[in-house]
Amino acid sequence: MAELVGVYAASHGPLIARDWHRLPDHLKQRLSAAYGELGRRITETGADVIVGLAPDHWTNFFLDNLPALCIGIGEEHGGPPEPFMRDFAPDPIPGDPALGRHILETALANGFEPALSYRLRLDHGLCLPLSRMTLSRMPRIVPMLINELEPPMLSYRRCLAWGRLLRSAIASYPAPARVAILATGGLSHSIGEPTMGAIDEDFDRRCIDALTRGEEGPLVDLLEHGAARAGNGAHEIRNWAVAHGAADCRGFELLDYLPAPDVYVGCAFAAWRV
Amino acid sequence: MRDYWLSKLCFDLQEPARVADYRRDRAAVLDRYPLKPEVRAAVLADDVAHLARLTNPYLLRYYFAAAGMPDAEFIARLRAGASDPDAATAGG
Repeated sequence: MAELVGVYAASHGPLIARDWHRLPDHLKQRLSAAYGELGRRITETGADVIVGLAPDHWTNFFLDNLPALCIGIGEEHGGPPEPFMRDFAPDPIPGDPALGRHILETALANGFEPALSYRLRLDHGLCLPLSRMTLSRMPRIVPMLINELEPPMLSYRRCLAWGRLLRSAIASYPAPARVAILATGGLSHSIGEPTMGAIDEDFDRRCIDALTRGEEGPLVDLLEHGAARAGNGAHEIRNWAVAHGAADCRGFELLDYLPAPDVYVGCAFAAWRV
Repeated sequence: MRDYWLSKLCFDLQEPARVADYRRDRAAVLDRYPLKPEVRAAVLADDVAHLARLTNPYLLRYYFAAAGMPDAEFIARLRAGASDPDAATAGG
């Protein structure tokens, strides 16, 4: 039987890769320490598969075909297309078609309707944290890409339900596998809006407090009513909500939070109690 | 609402080879997209505020990065557009 060995989250941002050499040393040190700690913890779990919860930054999908949630069930996935991610390895990225398909079938059997893909390209949203974590070896990846760029989107309550579904799917997977979950994105940030560059630190801290305490109702209320005002990038907190549900809303340990205007993102890093 | 062909232009310009083509001959690339005249005019005028109302913000950012506009200028134009009541009602 498969085992859920850890649930983690990390922010991402293109400038963390593209402008790395220009960022202040103190910011690079904090970011490196946070990503490195996540990498150390994931390595310690011995995870051989990571379910990656991430947005699709207009990489695989466009306005002519835009699934609310898509599960990658291919044997491999394409690496990031962005030029600033060209040093990312490996490319292609190994997938886990059996686990991916099991999650897909479990979802369909329980009232969820995800899309599927046999060949996704994984952009900086997932690959930037993976590369900065400097994992000792790259686990197989089952991507779950959630529409967090173009409204309408999944409700936060539905994201929690998706997390519980994911937890039950992993628990019922009959093959031996050590499975970690990695949510990426958020917290507050704004891209291509007049508030671009602004970070809503108050919102971020309330969000972190609710996640730390293991709340469900207050968290949903906060996200449903507050996330949209924290910038369009805050829609990516849906990934954190799925992770929260997968961790049975048991609360998390905040590894670091740094509002980082240099990269336009309120950056947070966390590990749930599973 | 989204303007599909403007959005498609922004989406396509994520590819570096297309960016090079676009910077070399903007009009020739625009000819491949059936843009409405007012949208084409806004593209040619780098009218950030007008285009912001017609496409996804991420795609808008990709477009102006491809067009060579620095982030600071892009953000300044977004903010100017948001605070301009005439711009806010034009072109909806």
